[in-house]
Amino acid sequence: MGLRINQKEKQSNSGRWAFFWCLLLLFFLLVLLFASLCTGSVKILFADVLQILTDRKAEGTAADILWRIRFPRAVAALFLGGGLALSGYLLQTFFHNPIAGPFVLGISSGAKLCVALVMIVATKYLYTIPQALMITAAFFGAMLSMGFVLLLSIRVERMSLLIVAGIMIGYICSAITDFVVTFAEDAQIVNLHNWTRGSFSGMNEENNVVIIVLTLLCFAGILLLAKPISAYQLGEEYAASLGVNVRGLRVCLILLSSLLAAVVTAYAGPVSFVGIAVPQLVKQLVRTSKPLILIPACFLGGAIFCMGCDLIARSVFAPTELSISTVTAVFGAPVVLAVMLKRQKERL
Amino acid sequence: MMKQCMLEAKNIAAGYQGRRIIEGLNFQALRGELLILMGPNGAGKSTLLKTIAGRLPVMAGEMVLQGKAWDAFSVQERARQIGAFFPERIRTEHMTCREMVEMGRYPYTGHFGVLGKADRLAVEEALELTNVTELADKDLMELSDGQRQRVLLARAICQEPKLLILDEPTAYLDIRYQLEFLSLLRKLCKERDIAAVLSVHEVELAWRAADQLLCIKDGAMAAYGTPEEVLKEDQLQKLFEIDPDKLGKDGSPELEQYAKMLGRGR
Repeated sequence: MGLRINQKEKQSNSGRWAFFWCLLLLFFLLVLLFASLCTGSVKILFADVLQILTDRKAEGTAADILWRIRFPRAVAALFLGGGLALSGYLLQTFFHNPIAGPFVLGISSGAKLCVALVMIVATKYLYTIPQALMITAAFFGAMLSMGFVLLLSIRVERMSLLIVAGIMIGYICSAITDFVVTFAEDAQIVNLHNWTRGSFSGMNEENNVVIIVLTLLCFAGILLLAKPISAYQLGEEYAASLGVNVRGLRVCLILLSSLLAAVVTAYAGPVSFVGIAVPQLVKQLVRTSKPLILIPACFLGGAIFCMGCDLIARSVFAPTELSISTVTAVFGAPVVLAVMLKRQKERL
Repeated sequence: MMKQCMLEAKNIAAGYQGRRIIEGLNFQALRGELLILMGPNGAGKSTLLKTIAGRLPVMAGEMVLQGKAWDAFSVQERARQIGAFFPERIRTEHMTCREMVEMGRYPYTGHFGVLGKADRLAVEEALELTNVTELADKDLMELSDGQRQRVLLARAICQEPKLLILDEPTAYLDIRYQLEFLSLLRKLCKERDIAAVLSVHEVELAWRAADQLLCIKDGAMAAYGTPEEVLKEDQLQKLFEIDPDKLGKDGSPELEQYAKMLGRGR
């Protein structure tokens, strides 16, 4: 009996640890948020940032910079980063593969292709690009790539081959995008060029509202699926035997991960490695398989990762800005390599 | 005393995509007993087990669980009646054994799958019954094959099923762990008064462990009954080319010991 009580304590301990990690991540997030609000070509002191944030009517250059440029950009990095990590988490769960992610599987590139096409046509005839149109195009492109990947996944037995196929799809989409860009008129490319490189810059309040609403909706939807996702980790057979509607769950996973990847691509362009690396890092940190903990932790982790990378991208070589993928790749790629090596070792 | 029937199959047929793999199977799984499926690879054992688990439709005939027709169960009700054990290897990340066993409570928990007090008790009980309490906080991937199979059995037991379905549960185990696993399964079925239907590849082992044997060949019943009856029918011989005179007399020392453990002098 004594043994049993002891174990119960251990169990609640692991739950408490997970909670502690989430709090720590949240703390880091806040630190980074303020760091990215303070840093830039014009330094703003922490106290001033606080004052401006608490008083929305504050005026002056500092307030302008903060509200017009830095705050929207930080918020975009926060939510898009979180969304990207969640998308990766869902794809890794779906394919039972730790190196799956929206970028490797070509989903981001599919979204990029469709958005590029829409951008070129829209700038020619409409002058402005409606946000809804961009997101719809991105979602359509993401689903198209996802469809290809799924078709291949039926025929391909080995998961590593699926990843290779995804990368090829990504290259094909990028090639078509480049082709289209090459033959587009100069005026249209100006818009396009920055965006295809991937960046969180140029956000405004209006963008932010759409980003926040869509990501939070997806986040809530994923949390509601936490229980079936936990069973799905054991494989389809076990999930079905526990009463999970496997087909329904698979459809939900695909739609949610594609939508998240699409939102990110529509606003920030293709961002590599966040989707793969962050869920892996978070799993390593939190050390649990429970989706109810992993989902919020992945969101926080992705937000931290992207805000941190964005901060580096725009401040290290200032005034020159790096593309966000340049920085995420530097930090993300080693993680993916480490995961692959670890798996290799396990198999032996 | 007649033992109570848990699952009854009447002339059932099943298969994939409209094609019948198994046909005309009649059998009963009784409370507290092991019904072992035997047959060459590809004979339809897994098809039958998947059909019982509800993964494949019953194409003809009737399947009755505790007097209630198969189709009358909702997905969740069925999940509470049947605990399954599949041959595929499970790959998990950072999942402890306890978390694995907790998965068995799935059909009983609320929308977010948070365990209640009764659920936790059931988990600890299942861990104890299968002798894996000490392993509870270990990562599932760190276990030996024998330990992992026991944890998977604990998960199935934790589901509090009336019927256990096990597809080749002894596949990855060496002979000692095979015996250990099967005697554990026997004990559990007796204690919980539930039925188990399982496929076992090793003829000798199946023959000794079973209360009832169902031999399947090319999707049809080749023999059915207690091991003695099946042996009398000369069917084992035809199915697996085994000399019935040698069976049970020339077994390995471990098997002899197992026979003693079960208290049967076959």
